[in-house]
Amino acid sequence: LDGTADTVHPEVRAHINSLASALGGVSADDDGRYQLGDDALEVLRDIKRWIRFYDEKTNRMDVARCIHEANLVEGDLLPILAQWPENAMDNKFRARIALACIELLVPLTWPMERDKEQMTVNHHRHMPVLELAQVQYKRGIINFDRARILHTAVRAALPSMAIPIGDRTPRDHAIIKLVLFFLRNLAIISPPPSVKYEGDESQVSRSVTIDAFSCQDIFMLLLTLSSNMGDEFRTEDTTVMDIIYHLVKRVDVDKLFMNDEQLNTAKAGELSAMMNKESAMLKAHNRKGPTRHNRFGTMIWVKRDGGKMSSLSGQDVLADAAMRNQKMDSSKTFRPPRRARKEDKDVRDLGPPAKLNARARHQLRSFVEDLLDSGFNPLFQHIRKTIDRKAPHVVQCHRRQFFYLVAWFLQAERVRRKAKKNTGQQNETGVGSFSLVAGVLNQEMFITLDRALHESYDHKDWHELSAVMRCFTQILLTVQEMAECGNEDDEEIAENVLSRLFYEESTHDAVVNIIKTYKHQDFDYLDAATELVHHFLRILEAYAKQNVDMQVRSRKRTRRKKQAAQRAGEDDSLDEEPDDSGNDEANAQRTSKERKFDFHRFCSKFTPQRVVDTFTTFTKYYRDLDDTQLKRAHRYFYRCAFKQDMSVMLFRVDIIHLLYNMVKGPEPLDKSSSMFDEWERLVKHILRRCFKKMEERPELIVEMLFSKLQSTAFYLEYGYERQTMSRS
Amino acid sequence: KQPDSGLGIDEEVSVQRRARVPGVKLDEVRLLGPAGIPRLRARAAHDLRLKGKGHEFSDASRLLSFYQLWLDDLFPKANFHDALAMVEKAGHKKLVVAARTEWINEAKPRPREGEE
Repeated sequence: LDGTADTVHPEVRAHINSLASALGGVSADDDGRYQLGDDALEVLRDIKRWIRFYDEKTNRMDVARCIHEANLVEGDLLPILAQWPENAMDNKFRARIALACIELLVPLTWPMERDKEQMTVNHHRHMPVLELAQVQYKRGIINFDRARILHTAVRAALPSMAIPIGDRTPRDHAIIKLVLFFLRNLAIISPPPSVKYEGDESQVSRSVTIDAFSCQDIFMLLLTLSSNMGDEFRTEDTTVMDIIYHLVKRVDVDKLFMNDEQLNTAKAGELSAMMNKESAMLKAHNRKGPTRHNRFGTMIWVKRDGGKMSSLSGQDVLADAAMRNQKMDSSKTFRPPRRARKEDKDVRDLGPPAKLNARARHQLRSFVEDLLDSGFNPLFQHIRKTIDRKAPHVVQCHRRQFFYLVAWFLQAERVRRKAKKNTGQQNETGVGSFSLVAGVLNQEMFITLDRALHESYDHKDWHELSAVMRCFTQILLTVQEMAECGNEDDEEIAENVLSRLFYEESTHDAVVNIIKTYKHQDFDYLDAATELVHHFLRILEAYAKQNVDMQVRSRKRTRRKKQAAQRAGEDDSLDEEPDDSGNDEANAQRTSKERKFDFHRFCSKFTPQRVVDTFTTFTKYYRDLDDTQLKRAHRYFYRCAFKQDMSVMLFRVDIIHLLYNMVKGPEPLDKSSSMFDEWERLVKHILRRCFKKMEERPELIVEMLFSKLQSTAFYLEYGYERQTMSRS
Repeated sequence: KQPDSGLGIDEEVSVQRRARVPGVKLDEVRLLGPAGIPRLRARAAHDLRLKGKGHEFSDASRLLSFYQLWLDDLFPKANFHDALAMVEKAGHKKLVVAARTEWINEAKPRPREGEE
């Protein structure tokens, strides 16, 4: 770069370069060891000051860019850290140098946010380079040969951690935080999705990260911190959660707990299933494909109503009417105007599904098991309290991470139990009880969950809401498993938990509302919502069958009283503003009364057209859904059409089109899969009922085009108007 | 006014753009017009032959192509899926709702007599 086209101020570059060279260097005389400069500590402090007072104060990224170009991290900081031998723990000078290095590494590896409102031209200029630079830092740090850098970092914080919490100075707290942030940053960094990463992916992948964390005893640190959360450590909880979150996000729980043979068969099965799918696809394509070359030039006329003709070309149209219709359709170029999708900034956060190699899988698995055994309850209970009291160190994304992790670990615990049961391994010391995860099954947790459900729905924070829904689903599944485990104490607890979960009508309404108001959210949300509804209905049904006289608590205003109060208020104060006390009174008159719960009636809340539409949208992805997801959609349609007797809701041309295409269309479900038969039967039943209805009521031919109102649907289904009930 | 110079440069040239011809839409007027639902009903009465039990899938394909051809006549521009979505959307309009209830009431056995 020449001076005119330089991206940063030349003086800044000069300063940083001179500092970097003053820090030290590889000595020429003895075997290329790193030699520390005379004022190394001062130099490190100076660089820190540059970062703080130039970059952060003025919101630029020039210094970070210069540091990257001076190769400070890999050339200097890592060799300096490596010079602190394990047996020299009491070397004060070395410890201070190491700490100063980490103080530099933390801001350099800090995750960058693309917050449109604060970005300047400098951000746009430097960020792409710095993102790649961070990946390079990560690669340097976790693959460093001569020393265990992460371990060294933890060693720098050990003296502070050894002090009891009451005696720690603010500086000690800051040191612990610093090291934890360092670990968290390394866990977060991954190659940016927008750019093609040119280096070796396998040097920065999740597997390598987990391997490094395991070999450098970071997992031990995390376990210690989480099992002592609440007494020796307090404000570190969210950071520990952050680290764990970035290690386990998008890791497939089922695969994690398989042994090698199972995993191999599973992978082989996946491969063969995929190849079968592909060959079926090709076969379906070839059967209808042309048998001659592409300039063979067939052209046909299709006779239509009123002496009209339409012409079509290509020999494939000779095959059958369906093909002709499809061809006629696909040649149309008009697309109705659509609103562009909003850009989703949070998608980056979760990333693609993580792939682990065998070694990392074993390491992560043993960590997860240890955490479940020792640290799960203290850690997550403490975080729940932190979130509930809205502590200052809680950020918005922590709530989402919390629910995601609770769901993930609950699933892991269930899968682990199942794996244990399959291998016939008997539980030695009461591991059979669910006490290991009891910390997230208490009443306080349900209150938090319920509130988060409502709040994230109200704030339209769909990503958080989908995490909450997944958490709710996992809790339901865990409790259900508890109720069937055979241990009497557990069964009793599960019974209590279920009754509490299903006691509140507001929760029921929230679930109904979520599925009803689906619109344009991403697939993950759709998946979570349908999953929740599926399990909620299923478990509630089983529960309602067991307990015939189930009661729910509903909050309802007694309208008569309220009107009376209003009238009285008007009489008393004709021109006064009604103040808050009147409102209070109205609130007080919100009586919560118990009423009998009728499952069938509750279920009918899931029959309106909008719920059907949501499930239809979900089913539209049938080519990509796996068996459990297909089953979920299948059960819903079955329930809607045959248990609730509202099959009329499904009689709409696009839904019929979808159902028909799933079985007989040009791209049907995989015929060899287990779900195909079930779907074929269901679709056949629905179609049969549809044609029967059309004979009975010819007006359905028009209504098939439209969404039906509840009253119309009721008439079409039963042939008479619904009697309005006085008590609802 | 000055006399015309004969070169044609004194004539005013209208620079105003002509308004664009509004695009054809599948709205409630079109839907309720003669090519719309009335024709669908007429055609259904004498064209649509369903075989009934045992032929569910072939019947479904017949039904779908019936709707498709009708929509192609009504609104040739859009493909089947988009046209269905447009019709569904128009179905919430007041005019269409009124017409729909009327058709249903037509088919009802008796308007309001002592049934129950």
